Amino acid sequence: MASPLEARSLSLVREGNAVLDGVSFTVAKGEIFALLGGNGAGKSSTLLTFLGFLEPSGGEVLVNGRSVGSDVAAARNAIAYLPEAASLYAHMTAYENLDYFLDLAGKSATKDEIDVALDRVALPNEARSRRLQSYSKGMRQKSAIALALLRETPILLLDEPTSGLDPVAIDEFHDLVKTLAEGGQTVLMVTHDVYGACQVADRVGLLRHGKLVGSFAAENGQRIDTETVHAAFAGREAT
Amino acid sequence: MLGHLTRETRFLIKDRGALFWLLLAFVLSIVAVTFGIAEVSEQRETIATLIKEDAADRANALEGQEDWGSAAYYAFHLTYAPPSDFAFAAMGQRDSSPWKHRVRMLALEGQIHEADTRNADFGLVGRFDFAFLAASVAPLLLILLLYDLRASERTMRRHDLLVATAGSSRSLWLPRALVRVTALVLLLLIPLWVGAMIEGTAASLALQASGIVVASLLVWWLIVELIGRLDASPSILLTSLIGLWLALAIVVPAVSKAAIEAANPVPDGGEILLLQRETVNDAWDLPAEATMEPFVERHPEYADHSEIGEEGFEWKWYYAFQQVGDQVVEPLATQYREARLARDAQAGLASWLSPTSLVERAFEKLAGTDARSMIAYENQVRAYHGELRAFYYPLMFPEEPFDADALSDLPAYDPQES
Amino acid sequence: MSTVTRIAREEWRLWLRSKVVVVAALIVAVLLAATSVLTVNRIAAEQSQRIEQQVAAEQTFFAQPDRHPHRMVHYGHYAFRPPPPLAVFEPGVDAVTGQSIFLEGHRQNTAMFADTKAAADLGGFASLTPASLYQLLLPLLLIVLGHAIFLRERESGTLAVMLAQGQSGTRLALGKATALLAVIAIFMIPLIGVAAYSISLGESALAAISLVAGYFVYLCVWGAIVLAASILLKQRAVSLGALIFVWLFAALIVPRFAINASSAAIDAPGKIESDLVMLAEQRKLGDGHNAADPAFMQLQAQVLQQYGVETIEELPINWRGVVASFSEAELTELLNSYAEKRMGLEASQSRLFGLFGVVSPTIAISSASRTLAGTDLATHHRFLRESEDLRFGFVQALNEKHVTALDYQVDLNRNNGEEASRAATINASAWRVLDEFRFAPDSASQRMDRAMLSLAILIAWLIAATGVVYIASRKVKL
Repeated sequence: MASPLEARSLSLVREGNAVLDGVSFTVAKGEIFALLGGNGAGKSSTLLTFLGFLEPSGGEVLVNGRSVGSDVAAARNAIAYLPEAASLYAHMTAYENLDYFLDLAGKSATKDEIDVALDRVALPNEARSRRLQSYSKGMRQKSAIALALLRETPILLLDEPTSGLDPVAIDEFHDLVKTLAEGGQTVLMVTHDVYGACQVADRVGLLRHGKLVGSFAAENGQRIDTETVHAAFAGREAT
Repeated sequence: MLGHLTRETRFLIKDRGALFWLLLAFVLSIVAVTFGIAEVSEQRETIATLIKEDAADRANALEGQEDWGSAAYYAFHLTYAPPSDFAFAAMGQRDSSPWKHRVRMLALEGQIHEADTRNADFGLVGRFDFAFLAASVAPLLLILLLYDLRASERTMRRHDLLVATAGSSRSLWLPRALVRVTALVLLLLIPLWVGAMIEGTAASLALQASGIVVASLLVWWLIVELIGRLDASPSILLTSLIGLWLALAIVVPAVSKAAIEAANPVPDGGEILLLQRETVNDAWDLPAEATMEPFVERHPEYADHSEIGEEGFEWKWYYAFQQVGDQVVEPLATQYREARLARDAQAGLASWLSPTSLVERAFEKLAGTDARSMIAYENQVRAYHGELRAFYYPLMFPEEPFDADALSDLPAYDPQES
Repeated sequence: MSTVTRIAREEWRLWLRSKVVVVAALIVAVLLAATSVLTVNRIAAEQSQRIEQQVAAEQTFFAQPDRHPHRMVHYGHYAFRPPPPLAVFEPGVDAVTGQSIFLEGHRQNTAMFADTKAAADLGGFASLTPASLYQLLLPLLLIVLGHAIFLRERESGTLAVMLAQGQSGTRLALGKATALLAVIAIFMIPLIGVAAYSISLGESALAAISLVAGYFVYLCVWGAIVLAASILLKQRAVSLGALIFVWLFAALIVPRFAINASSAAIDAPGKIESDLVMLAEQRKLGDGHNAADPAFMQLQAQVLQQYGVETIEELPINWRGVVASFSEAELTELLNSYAEKRMGLEASQSRLFGLFGVVSPTIAISSASRTLAGTDLATHHRFLRESEDLRFGFVQALNEKHVTALDYQVDLNRNNGEEASRAATINASAWRVLDEFRFAPDSASQRMDRAMLSLAILIAWLIAATGVVYIASRKVKL
């Protein structure tokens, strides 16, 4: 069976600059893969090529074994995407937002189903009928995650999902992602948070100047060693 | 598609910014239509009063007259162009060209250019009628409704999420924009339809007008759509769109107008009057034959009755030189009319460069308030003046005995005749 | 360098680096220059043409041969209104009113052949003048330049840095205001140039300077509105949208709305309508051509008594002339009362229109601008009054000649053959009674008086708008 996500010698040139240069990786079903890198390493661009927003200049990206370029809609349909610092509409309540976005994805959910999803992301009950403009950054992030849950897609793409969240919320979020992966969802997240990546991911890829320069996998039920990754990340950055 | 539309309608209902512009469009449309109907009914009232007073005045003037000449001299006749049942939507040239006259059988050129003008300050600014709203203001409102559909989502970092969720941009932006355009069109048109019902406008006319509004807004939508695809900040998009609107709504019409008027000089109106008056004035000093000859050339049927006596004043001679006055300026007057028509025809072509001009002109045409209609009215006045002459001449020149009862057969002005 | 000028310089640097701003400013500048040149040429041509026409009309009148004096009453004369010097900037109502009048006995004609009647019809606002560019386009340019002038500091987070450094909101606003003021000052240059040119054409410096000052205040009002919006609103798209709405409202909607409203509120009947009412009254006055009209019996008795004679034939003067003169005076009084009533109604319509300046500064400046330029309705009305005086003057002077210089019997006999009609004339030197007519604009102080209300409204706008800016900038928080 084809891997849910695969990048084959992916290259990307934007405005004359090589953003990605020959990046290859696959993410297996139920796996959490974290792309780790500094600012401008090409992390977000990688996600955008999987969504068909950016076209590879070389190589290709595949979703469920099919090239994204050949069927963008199918790729997007299989993916729930959580952009960095995303906010749903501030002038609508969480219920209204989720209702709207699900409709947009061609799905529908009852209020109960929405409540279940909001429970899972721990959005307080009293807040759900309020407009998002009164929400904290964390609450907005949670409502966006709830959308990703409700879409029940086989693949999740997460862009800096924990930035702006407090430590408790980060732990909760990591637990949630792990549960989702155990349920069979494939997760590709990009982050610059070494600790977070090592804590949640089954495998960490180190991205530097558009090149995949290292890979660390969890072995024998152990988490990836933060120290090793950190040393690799910092050491190479320094040189 | 229907599902997309209902979803986006629900979305629109929660967007207070968009609702504000839509509400504004609705209110402005109501205001424009209301003012239009009020103005049209005032014009109708004026005409009704004038018809009554005109008849009374003529009866008064004709009373006790003892010859054909004095009867024709003292009796004025009202001519007018009533506003059409769609004029409420576009007052057009009715504001700058006269639509009512009182003429008598003197030289027509001395009478037809009299303008029963409104307050000059008003002519300067122009009226807020539906045509102006639809042509100039509605595109601005459309721009404000649509310009940042994409760009605002981009600034809020929501664009990619939305498109990724929707799968394709078509199922998102098209219905979202379509709902707004449809709402704008409906809110603009509903007051127009109500107005058309009150005024008894023909359904086909109202339909054509609606078609014009829809077509023009679709063109503007296309423009906004093309510009809106640029990956620029909302404020730069809006600035560019407003600039484009300025160019299409103000600069292009102004430049074409200046060019057309320079290319088609209209004879100085004063010249027409001057020449006509000089001719009439000079006739007093000339021997009667100098007047009667050109007159008989035009009216050979009175050749046998064109002898003017040596002594005393004769009305025949007086009206003959009035007629000759008109004859002399005929080429100038024709040139004046032709030049106006030529300007109008070229303005019609130039208006294809500006959707705003095109819409206003189309509305004026439907409402019968365009330059052509006003010139047609002038032609009607000329024709009626001709009827007056045709009535009096056969009585006056053969010197039929005066019969006051015959005056009841005076031609009546009929605005419908063409 | 003070912080205020420092902030202003930064703003300018930003503008000069923005293509949109530079392009917009260039387009406006080009439009302004082109329209100014075109209008200056057109008005200059019209002015010399009208003065020539006026002189020619007088020459033609003087050159008429010996005639019956009443023939000259009907021969008539023309009055022309040349555009005032400042019309090169603000042509005002001239395009709508027509600028020449035919003057003759027994009639008050309207000004003829307004340009608009024969204009190519391209809808809405199809003519551009320097004044309309200043009124409509420059506010838009200020909006484009300034809608984010303050809030971009908030957007980029630099506002926090500045406030933390101890800058106050008011100082920051003052710097931004200075930057906008510099833009306004630069765009005042074409107007100052045109004003200087008009002074060289003989315009009073007071009027020209007031016009410049009026537009400066007007643009400052818009600058203040723009600045206030950019302080009070947090997103640039919202600020731009709101300002465009204000512009749409003030520049397009309110003026036209005000036209509809003031013509609905004050009904000024058309000339035909009032002429009809007048005609009925006029018939009671009698026909001045017919000395036997019973309406003149009382006059006859009075004149006969005055000269101590029994019949009109015994009078030492020409009775027909007396009747013509008497009835002209009566008729003119009637005509004038109606004309005054109509002009009065129009003037109050325009006053009402001017009061809408409270809602739209564009109305206030356009009223003030027309008045100061001498192209307003009041000036047109004065032209109508003065040309009426000219008309009445020469008609009555000719009637006087009719009374004194032409024998009654000869006059009565005028239609009996060529010989008799030649006898019933007077010497052409009598045509010199016609006064020379040169229409001149009102004095600058009169125009100032008339423009005072609109200027006061503008200044009130400025005070209100800067007040809002001041209060908003004092309350600036993060």
